[in-house]
Amino acid sequence: MLKNYFKIAIAVLRRRKFFTFISLFGISFTLTILLVLTAFIDKVVGDSYPDRKRDRSLYVSRIQLSMKDGRSSGPASFYLFDHYGRSLKTPVKVGISSGFNGTNTYVNNKKIAVNYKYTNGDYWDIMEYDFTEGKAFTKQQIDNADKVAVISEDMKREYFGDVPSVVGKYIEADNVKYRVTGVVKSVPITSYMVYSDIYLPYTVAKTDFRKDKSYQGGFFGVFLANSSADVPKMHAEYEDMINRLPMPRKEVIKIYSHADPYIRSYVDAGDEQHSGITIAITAISIFALLVMLLPTLNLVNINITRIMERSSEIGVRKAFGASSGTLVYQFIVENIILTLLGGLIGVILSVVALQVLNGANLIPNLVLTLNFTVLGIGLLICFFFGLLSGVYPAWRMSKLNVVTALKAQ
Amino acid sequence: MFKHLFKLIWNKKKQNFLLMSEMLFSFLVLFAVFTLLVYYYNNYKKPMGFEYKNVWVVNYNNAYKATNTDSLTQFYETLRQNLKALPDVKEISFCSDNVPFSQNTWQGSVNYKGNPVGGVNQYTVEDSYKNTMTAELLEGRWFNKGDVAAKNRPIIISSDLKEKLFGNERAVGKLVGDGDQPGHDKNAMKIIGVIQGVKAKGDYAPAGYAVYHRTDTGSFHSLGKIMVQVTPGATAAFEARLYKTLANYMKDSNVEIEHLTSKRKDINYFTLVPMIVLLIVGGFLVINVALGLFGVLWYNINKRRGEIGLRRAVGATGNSVSSQLITESMILATLSLILGTFFAIQFPLLNVFDLPASIYIVAIFCSIGFIYVLVFLCSLYPGKQAAAIYPAVALHEE
Repeated sequence: MLKNYFKIAIAVLRRRKFFTFISLFGISFTLTILLVLTAFIDKVVGDSYPDRKRDRSLYVSRIQLSMKDGRSSGPASFYLFDHYGRSLKTPVKVGISSGFNGTNTYVNNKKIAVNYKYTNGDYWDIMEYDFTEGKAFTKQQIDNADKVAVISEDMKREYFGDVPSVVGKYIEADNVKYRVTGVVKSVPITSYMVYSDIYLPYTVAKTDFRKDKSYQGGFFGVFLANSSADVPKMHAEYEDMINRLPMPRKEVIKIYSHADPYIRSYVDAGDEQHSGITIAITAISIFALLVMLLPTLNLVNINITRIMERSSEIGVRKAFGASSGTLVYQFIVENIILTLLGGLIGVILSVVALQVLNGANLIPNLVLTLNFTVLGIGLLICFFFGLLSGVYPAWRMSKLNVVTALKAQ
Repeated sequence: MFKHLFKLIWNKKKQNFLLMSEMLFSFLVLFAVFTLLVYYYNNYKKPMGFEYKNVWVVNYNNAYKATNTDSLTQFYETLRQNLKALPDVKEISFCSDNVPFSQNTWQGSVNYKGNPVGGVNQYTVEDSYKNTMTAELLEGRWFNKGDVAAKNRPIIISSDLKEKLFGNERAVGKLVGDGDQPGHDKNAMKIIGVIQGVKAKGDYAPAGYAVYHRTDTGSFHSLGKIMVQVTPGATAAFEARLYKTLANYMKDSNVEIEHLTSKRKDINYFTLVPMIVLLIVGGFLVINVALGLFGVLWYNINKRRGEIGLRRAVGATGNSVSSQLITESMILATLSLILGTFFAIQFPLLNVFDLPASIYIVAIFCSIGFIYVLVFLCSLYPGKQAAAIYPAVALHEE
């Protein structure tokens, strides 16, 4: 039976090539847009390089001090993580790293912009950067305030050029020479909590972070639990610690800071009242809805037109005893075949679009790929499309009166 | 004639309803796209307000840890002498962190005669700032050494803020308060000049309200940037030398030199990329809708061959038949546009997003025009086809 429907669907598609083109165009382009969007989101928030232990980590990207007449919000201080954060029981490791900052270096009269980031020792135990050579600096080196650095592959290429090994060589940044201990695979700037060109021990910074006892600073924290079962406990413990913090000034009436899973802290909008995740999801759904709504309406329109064209066929089938249900079923199957065909073209178009986007290198190191999750979402969207644009026309068709349908031609 | 057309449309209301809702949604999408485009274009055609070429920004932090203001000032004055002695440096000015094209903002409010204005950018600058940035003075004068002794703190405001506070009146000499609660100001500030607003967030962002404060003796505690105007031919080798001079002098500081030209490119990029994505998506939706409209109209005409044949037989010309069909689709478009405009007009009425009403109005007109042109083009060919129907052939089929 399905084979028969399939044959009919193909025959219908070939009859009115212009309408087929419109339908396929609408479906495939909509799908391409949605697939590229999901590939982007998947890469930006779903990519687990270098923090592969996300399932048992919590991130702190922000602290907010609320005053009576305003609020001050931003990354937290080194002191908060080092003094309070490390005193927590559940986390086995507390990775502390500064946000990346810019400086310059000049090689052979060429300017290189360098982003640097200070880290502690635990950071390298939690993060699993791929080292192309060498290794991270050790806790001993941090305590000695050795001038050592881990650099990214991009930095290596830019600063040293095409040389096989740079471990042990010196790199000058911010007018200081650092000895390179390792080279890691580059991270795109969108992973702002782990991105940098040069990673340095926090002890070599020109300012001593340990002396600054305020809660706000320029640091991100990653708390690692023993197992994913301990994560809720760690979250609660951190909340509890924040609630017990002494107020820094008498104007401050409340301190907010949360240890959250990666995605939550990634989209943290810096406002206690409006959760970043709600804003992000609302914006994405409105966009997706608009992108899908118009082509769907279009498809419904075209489908109705095509069905009415086939009124004689429907009339004959009804006259020979086909029930409305059978006809609706047939038509929906035909429509799903059409959308899946459009989906196939859409996937091919998406691969091309992603290639073009990667080639344009809009964001360095952000390589978009069409993975299976995205493909699955795409197929689901297609199926949904097929149903949505098929149900109403099919219902209209089944209501057709046999006599009028037969007489129409 | 129109009454007749309405009747024809009403007879096929089910099919027309879908067409209309499609036009309505396209209108709303176009309205959103056009609002953004008009907004950006409006900002783009306004002057930049300063010369960003050949200006570099030096970022530094806590370079000198003295709490003593005198020695701090001495420290930075020596740095100023050192920098100005360099061959390619034309002018330098220390200023607060919110330099043009950076992500830093520092906003406050001002009030004039009990009328508060919020979201005013606060800049702290030196006497040399005007020459470093080539700012354009519209009224009054820039800061000078004589301002130290002024009774009321002297300020310079941007053209947009002047317009908001005083309209067409002269602003120079007026006193404004420095908070949003009139009567609670610590001290009134005196306007000594008005400058052309500086588009600090890039070409596509509005200049916005701004107040410039003059640096005072304690200002070096909080400043973090130096604007450096260099000669047009300054090379990377010179930049390296400037960098060494700075880094060797401010040993405890992280130093970074950025060029305003590249900062401008970066900040524009953040506006342009979403706009291009939106244009691609919008363009695709429009093509989609156009093809759909075209297909449906074409099919409808094929189905109405009998009716058209009859009209031709009783004496209608080909032109009148095609214009009837085009007018029919235009009426359909008008009906959905009326509904769409009703929704769109709520934006300026309710003042959503705080944009000037004129932007919405222009966007509404643009989208209406666009939809009409689209519908017209889509019904042109089917209309022409209908005009070519021979009455004898069409009537023979029945």
